[in-house]
Amino acid sequence: MSLTKYESFVREPLVDGEKTYNKVTEDIVYTIETKPTRLWYIGLYISVALLLFGVYSIYREVTYGVGQWNLGKTVGWGWDITNFVWWIGIGHAGTLISAILLLFRQGWRTGVNRAAEAMTIFAVMAAGQFPIWHMGRVWLAFFVMPYPNTRGALWPNFNSPLLWDVFAISTYFTLSLLFWYSGLIPDVATLRDRAKTKFRKLFYGIASFGWTGSTKHWQRHESLSLVLAGLCTPLVLSVHTIVSFDFATSVVPGWHTTIFPPYFVAGAVFSGFAMVQTLMLITRRVMNLQDYITLGHIEAMNKVIVLTGSIVGCAYLTELFMAWYGANLYEYDAFFRYRLAGPYGWSYWIMMTCNVVSPQLFWFKKLRRNIEFTFIMSVVVNVGMWFERFVIIVTSIFRDYVPSSWSLYYRPSIYEIGFYLGTFGLFFTCYFLFSKYFPVIAIWEIKHVLKTSGENYKAKMEGLEKLSNDEFYNKTHHH
Amino acid sequence: MELGMSQKQYWQNLGELKNTEGYRKLVKDEFQEDLPFEEDGKAIMDAKSPRRDFLKYLGFSTAAAALAAGCETPVIKSIPYLNQPENLTPGVAQYYATTFVAEGDVVPVIAKVRDGRPIKLEGNPLSFINTKSEGTSARVQASVLDLYDTGRLRYPVEISGIDMKELPSFEAIDKKIAAELTGAQVVLLTSTLNSPTTRQIIKDFLAKYPGSRHVQYDAVSYSGLLQANEITYGKRAIPTYHFDKARVIVGLDADFLGTWLSPDEFSSQYAAGRKINQKNPEMSKHIQFEGVLSLTGANADERYLHRPSEMGTVVLNLLAKLGGNVSAPAIADEKLKKGIEITAGLLNENKGAALVVCGSNDPNIQVLVNAINELVGANGTTINWASPLLTRAGIDGEMEQLVKDMNAGSVGALLVFEANPAYNYSNAADFIKGLKKTKLSVSFSDRADETSSICKYIIPHHHYLESWGDAEGRTGFYSLLQPTIAPLFKTRYFQTSLLKWSGNNTDYEDYFKNHWLTQLGNQGAFDKALQDGVVEPASLTFSNTLYSDAGVANAASKIGGGKAEGKAEVVLYQKVSIGSGAAANNPWLQEMPDPITRATWDNYAVISYAMAAELGIKLDDKYEVEFHKPLVAFTINGKEVKLPVLAIPGMHPNVIGIAVGYGRSEGAGRAASGVGYNAYPLVSAKEGVRQYYVTGVTGYKNTGDTYDIAYTQTHNQYEGRVEVVREYSLADFKKNPEAIPHYREELAEDFAKKTGDFKAEGTLYPVYESPGAHWGMSIDLNACTGCGACTVACMAENNVPIVGKNEVKRSHEMHWLRIDRYFASYRDNTEGDNLNVVFMPMLCQHCDNAPCENVCPVSATNHSSEGLNQMAYNRCIGTRYCANNCPFKVRRFNWADYNGADSFPDNQHHNGVGKFDDAVLMMNDDLSRMVLNPDVTVRSRGVIEKCSFCVQRLQDAKLEAKKSQDASVIRDVKTACMQACSTGAIVFGNVNDKESQVYKIRTEEQNHRAYYALEHLHVLPNINYLAKIRNTARPVGVKDEFAGEKATSHEGKH
Repeated sequence: MSLTKYESFVREPLVDGEKTYNKVTEDIVYTIETKPTRLWYIGLYISVALLLFGVYSIYREVTYGVGQWNLGKTVGWGWDITNFVWWIGIGHAGTLISAILLLFRQGWRTGVNRAAEAMTIFAVMAAGQFPIWHMGRVWLAFFVMPYPNTRGALWPNFNSPLLWDVFAISTYFTLSLLFWYSGLIPDVATLRDRAKTKFRKLFYGIASFGWTGSTKHWQRHESLSLVLAGLCTPLVLSVHTIVSFDFATSVVPGWHTTIFPPYFVAGAVFSGFAMVQTLMLITRRVMNLQDYITLGHIEAMNKVIVLTGSIVGCAYLTELFMAWYGANLYEYDAFFRYRLAGPYGWSYWIMMTCNVVSPQLFWFKKLRRNIEFTFIMSVVVNVGMWFERFVIIVTSIFRDYVPSSWSLYYRPSIYEIGFYLGTFGLFFTCYFLFSKYFPVIAIWEIKHVLKTSGENYKAKMEGLEKLSNDEFYNKTHHH
Repeated sequence: MELGMSQKQYWQNLGELKNTEGYRKLVKDEFQEDLPFEEDGKAIMDAKSPRRDFLKYLGFSTAAAALAAGCETPVIKSIPYLNQPENLTPGVAQYYATTFVAEGDVVPVIAKVRDGRPIKLEGNPLSFINTKSEGTSARVQASVLDLYDTGRLRYPVEISGIDMKELPSFEAIDKKIAAELTGAQVVLLTSTLNSPTTRQIIKDFLAKYPGSRHVQYDAVSYSGLLQANEITYGKRAIPTYHFDKARVIVGLDADFLGTWLSPDEFSSQYAAGRKINQKNPEMSKHIQFEGVLSLTGANADERYLHRPSEMGTVVLNLLAKLGGNVSAPAIADEKLKKGIEITAGLLNENKGAALVVCGSNDPNIQVLVNAINELVGANGTTINWASPLLTRAGIDGEMEQLVKDMNAGSVGALLVFEANPAYNYSNAADFIKGLKKTKLSVSFSDRADETSSICKYIIPHHHYLESWGDAEGRTGFYSLLQPTIAPLFKTRYFQTSLLKWSGNNTDYEDYFKNHWLTQLGNQGAFDKALQDGVVEPASLTFSNTLYSDAGVANAASKIGGGKAEGKAEVVLYQKVSIGSGAAANNPWLQEMPDPITRATWDNYAVISYAMAAELGIKLDDKYEVEFHKPLVAFTINGKEVKLPVLAIPGMHPNVIGIAVGYGRSEGAGRAASGVGYNAYPLVSAKEGVRQYYVTGVTGYKNTGDTYDIAYTQTHNQYEGRVEVVREYSLADFKKNPEAIPHYREELAEDFAKKTGDFKAEGTLYPVYESPGAHWGMSIDLNACTGCGACTVACMAENNVPIVGKNEVKRSHEMHWLRIDRYFASYRDNTEGDNLNVVFMPMLCQHCDNAPCENVCPVSATNHSSEGLNQMAYNRCIGTRYCANNCPFKVRRFNWADYNGADSFPDNQHHNGVGKFDDAVLMMNDDLSRMVLNPDVTVRSRGVIEKCSFCVQRLQDAKLEAKKSQDASVIRDVKTACMQACSTGAIVFGNVNDKESQVYKIRTEEQNHRAYYALEHLHVLPNINYLAKIRNTARPVGVKDEFAGEKATSHEGKH
C-alpha cells in the first residue's frame, strides 16, 4: 500500500492545520460530547415542526383522499412524484462518493463521505414517502409485494416500472444503510471508548457491535467496504435508470424518451453533489470543521457539479433536437409549444438557467473556491433540479395527445406543499440528530489519509521530494 | 328366538337386497363431497403428511379468526319480504312501459325496475314519438333521479308566512279546501296538459265552478308559433316536422337538435339525412341563422350570424328572395346578405324536400316562415299536419290576462299544477303580487318552489314513475303511464284532488282505468296497451293543411325595418341539460357539461371573441387554463347585471347569450338553489307575446373581478392532430374516398411489414387470441350531434358519481363518457362563420395493446379474452399511473369519497381543500342512493374507474344466450350509451361475429371513413370512429392533407 503513504506534493492537503491523531478525534467528537448549541436546538425544532405539518398533511390525504391535492384527471402526478424523483436524485451523491470514489481511490472523499452517505439514507427515506402516500389506498400498499397469498397465483405486475421502482429503491436503501453503518462502526467504537455516562456507554456499546480495532477487524472491515462498494456502484447507475423508466417506458410525449436513463443519472449526481455542498458548507461552519472539509474538497465537488451539469444540459439540448428532428407532431408540440412556451414555460427557463447556464460559472477557479458563491450555487442547482422533474412530469402530461383533456393550471394545494415540507422536516430532523450523536466526518478515514495528505505531514515531506528514485523507494518501503 | 330376529332383513330396493356392485358404489358415494383440501383422493386428515401443512392451516385459521374478530363488519340494512310479490325474483330486473311527462313533453319510456326500484329509463321503441328507437334525451335519462329527489315534499302542507305545517290527512284537506272553493271563480293554471283523462277531469271540474277557467302556461313560450299557425293554417296547433325528408334544412334561431319542441325526435330524423352511404355519399344540407352558437348551429354546414332583433329582416329577405310578395328591408351585413341568397337558391332547387324552422316567438315572423315553407313545398312533405304536436299549447295573452285578473282581485282561487310563474314568468313580480291578492291558492308541485311556497296549500302530486296516467303527445298518439314503484311519500294525484273537489269520489287511478277500459273495449286490450305503453296508429300518415296567405302582408308590415338597435343584444337560450329549469335540482343534469361551452353547474354570459377583446379580456393561454373568469357588468334596460363571461367562437359580435333555467330558490332543492343567475326577468314582450331576447344592452364593462366557472374542457382546437379527429368536406371525400384506408395501409407497411398486423408485430408482449366474443364499438361523428344523452345514460347505468362544482373546478369530474367538442379546422381560423365544430364522444377505447395495463404495478387493470380493458377495483391501489399513460385520458380517479363507499367514517364533511358541495352530500342521502344500479359496484375512494363497455350487460346477455342456447341473443346487447343515442351514432357489438353491425361497418359499409383515434401509437383501440363529413364548400380538415399522401404520412408517427 505504498501509495497511501505518499501524496504528491503538488496535491493540496486534505486536512488543514497542525493535526495529530488525537487532535482529529477531539475536533470531530467535540460536538458530540458537549451540550448542543442554541442554533442546533432552533434547527431541530423547526425541522420537527415541519415534520409534524407533513404528518398532518398526510393525515388529511389518507382520511379524505388524494383530492386533498390539486391533481386532476389530466395531471395525475404533480408535486408528489416530482419530489420523489428529486429526493432520490439527491441521494445519489452519497453513494457515488462512498462507492465509486472508494473504488477509484479518491482520497478527498474521506472528508465528506460520512455526511454524504447519511444524506443518501435520509434522502431515500424522504423520497420513499411519496410513492407510498401518493397511492389512493395506501393501506393496500402491500399489494406491490410479491408475497404468497390465498388468492391463487396472484402476483404483482412485473411489467410495471412502478414495481421495478419498489425493488430498486428498497435494494438501494438497504445497501446504503449497510454501507453507511459499517463505516460508522469504528467511529462508534471510539465514542464508546470515550463515553463517560452509563447511557452513552450502553448506547455506543451496542451500536459498535463489539469493535475492538484488531487487525482482523480492520481487515474484514476493509473487505466488507470493498464488497459493499462493489454492490453499490451499479446501484448508482441503476436506481435512477429505473426511476427514469417510470417515464421512459410510457407513451406520453415528453416522457417516452430513450435518453432518460443517462440523463437522469447525471442529473441525480448533479443534484446530489449540490445537496452535499449545501450540507457541508453549513456543517463545517457550525461544527468548526473547516480543517477537514477544506476548500479543496469544495472545489473537487464543484468540478463534479460542472461536469454533470454540462451532461444534463447536453441532454436537454438533445431532447430538443430529437423533438425537432423526429418530425413527430406530438413530440414537437410537447417540447416546443408547451414546454419552452405555454403556461409552464417559466418553469422550463428556471430549469435551464439553474441547471445549465449558472453552473458554467464553475469553470472559473476563483468561483469554485468561493464559499459563498458555492453555497448559493448549491441551492440554485437544487432548485433547478426540482424544476427539471416538475417540467418533465407536469408539462408533459398537462397537454398530451387529446387536446380536449388538456389541463387547467395545476398548482399545489396547501397539503401538497405540506407534504413536501414534511419531508424536509424528516430529512433535517434525521440530519440534526445524526450530527449530534454520530461523527459527521469519518474519523478513521481521516486518520487513514492524515499522514499522507495532512497539511503538517505534507510539509515534512519536502525532503522526500528531493530524493532520487532509488532512495525514495528504499525510504518508503523499508520498514 | 334371537336367531329369528337377526335373520329378518328389511330392504328398500332390490339392489340393497342383493347387495349389487352398483348399489355399494351408490352408498359409498352418497356424500361424496369432501373437504376441498382433498389431494390424491385423500381427505386432509388422511393425507400423507398433514404435519407439513399443519402450520399453513394453523396460520390460515388464526389469521381468519383474527380478521373475523378484529374487523368491524359493516352493518347492512336489509329487510326481507314478508310476502314476496308475484313474479319478482330478487336480483332480476323487471321492465315496465310508462311515459315521461313533464311540462307538456311526452316521451314513452321503458323503466327498468330492480327489486322494486326504478333505476333506468330507455325510450319505448314501439312509439313513433321516439321514431321507433330507444334513444332519449339527457333530461329523460336523468328524470329517474328526480323520483328520489330529496327536495321533494313528503306530505301536503299548509303555508302561513314562512311556516309550513303538515296537513294530517287528505280528508281534512278536502274538507277545508272544498269549503273555501265554494262559489269561487277558480283558475286552473297548468303547463300544457295533453292527458286525455286529465283534460276530461278538468272539464268536469270547471263545469262545477261557473266562471272558472283553465290557463295553460309554458315556461318557455311557443305562443308565437301557435298564433301564427292559427293565422295561416287556421289551427292553433303545431305540426310535426320531418327533418329526414328534407334535403335542405334551414334553422332560423331554432335549436331543434337541442331544445326546440321535440329535439330527440328531430335529432333522430336529422341524423338519418346526415349519415353517409359510402357507395353513394350524399347528405342533407343544413344552414343555420343564429346569434348565439347553439347545439344545432354547431352541427350546421353553414352558419350565418345575425342579431335576434334582425330575425324578422332575415325572414323577410328570405321570403322576398323566394318570390314572396313582400318588400324586404336592406341588410347591411354582406355575409348575412350573401347567406340569405345562397339559402334561397338552395331552397328553390329543393322544393318539396326543404324545411325551414324558426325558433322565434314572434307570431308575425312565424307567419312569414309559414309563407316560406309554403313556397318551398314543405306543407305536407316535411311539415305534416296529419297529427299535430300537442306538447305546447300555452298562449301568452291568457297568462297576461290572468295576472291582470289576479291583481284586480277577480280570481277567487288559483290552482297551480306543473307551472312556476313566480320563477319563470317574465313579469314574475306582478304574478306574485296577484297571487297574494288571491284568496285561495293551491299548488300541486312536488316541492316548495318559487310559486308553491307562496301558495296557501301544497298538495304534492306523485312523480310520473309513481303514477297511472296517459298522455297524447300528438293527436291520436297515446301513451300510458303505470306506476313502477308505490308512492314514496304522502302524495296524491292532482287529478284525484280535482275529482274530489268536483264532488266525484272516484280516485284518479280508477277513473283512468275505467276510461281506458271503455276506450279500448276490454281488459285484454287494456293489458296489452299497458304492456306496450303506447296506443298509436300502425303507420305514419302525411297530410298538408289548407294554407292562407291572408296574414302575410300584415305580418310583414309589422316587422318593418327591424334595424339593429343598442350596443348589443341578449339572446336568452335554454341549455340542453337544464332546459327551462324545472329539473334544475337534478345533479346529473347540472354536472353534464354544456355541449358548447363544456361548463357545468352555472349559467354565464357567452360572448364573442370580438366583445372579449373590447372588454380587455385576453384570450391567451392563461385565460384557457384558469377557471377564474372575468365578471362583466352589463347594463340591460337600464339595470346592471353582473355575469361571468365565457368567450366562444361562432358568436355574433354584438350578441350575448344567457341561459335561462338557473338561479332557483332554496325550495327547489339543494342542488339547484344558488346555482347561476335567473335570466327569466330579462324576457321581453312584444304585443303580449314573450320574446326571448333583449335589445337594450347599452353598455358593458369588465369589473375586474372574477367568478369561478367549472368547465371540463380547456382547449378548443385539435391542433391539426388528424390522428385524433378526421373531417372532410363532402366534395373532398367524394374525390378521395380512400384517404383513410391508404393512411392505414401505409401505417401497416411501416410498422407491421411481415403480417400487416400491428398486434403481432407492434408489441413485446405475447399475443393472445380472443376466439369467443370480441367487443367493439363504432362511433359515427357525422351522426353524433353532441347532445350528451349518452353521458347521463352512462352515469345512471354505471353509478358514476357526481362531484359538485367545487370538484369539477379541480378537474375531478368522473364522467366515463364525455363528448369532446372542438372548434376550428385550420389552426388559427376559428372565427365567425368559418367555424367548424366537431363533437367526439370519448370513452375508454379498450385498447388491445393498452398502455394503462402494463404500467399498473398490481395488475388491477387488465385485458379480458373478449377485448375488454377491465378494472379490478378491489385490486387497485390508486397510483394513477394508468391514467397518466392513457393517451385518451378517459380514466377517472376517485379523488375523494364521492359515493360514501369508503370504509373511513365521516370523510365527506371536511372543510378547506376539496370541500364537498351540498349536491354531493344530497346524492349520498339514503333516498338518492336508491337510484344506484345494484349490478354495478359503487367505487370507493382511491381507485381508478372508467368505461367498462357496460360489462354487466354483456355478462347478462351471455348468460341469456347460454340459457337459451342461442348465441344470436348476444347480438342484441347494447351499451347504455348506444341505447340512449337517438341518432344511432354509437354501434356496439361483437366484431368476431360477421353478422354484427359493427363488423359490417368496419369491413364493408363504412371502411372508407373508419379510423382509430391515435392509431399510429399501436395501442389497438377497440373503438373506431367514422370521419366527420361536412356538406360545405369551405375548406375542412387540416390543410394539405389531400395534397399528397406522402406529405403527411410521417406526421405523428414515431
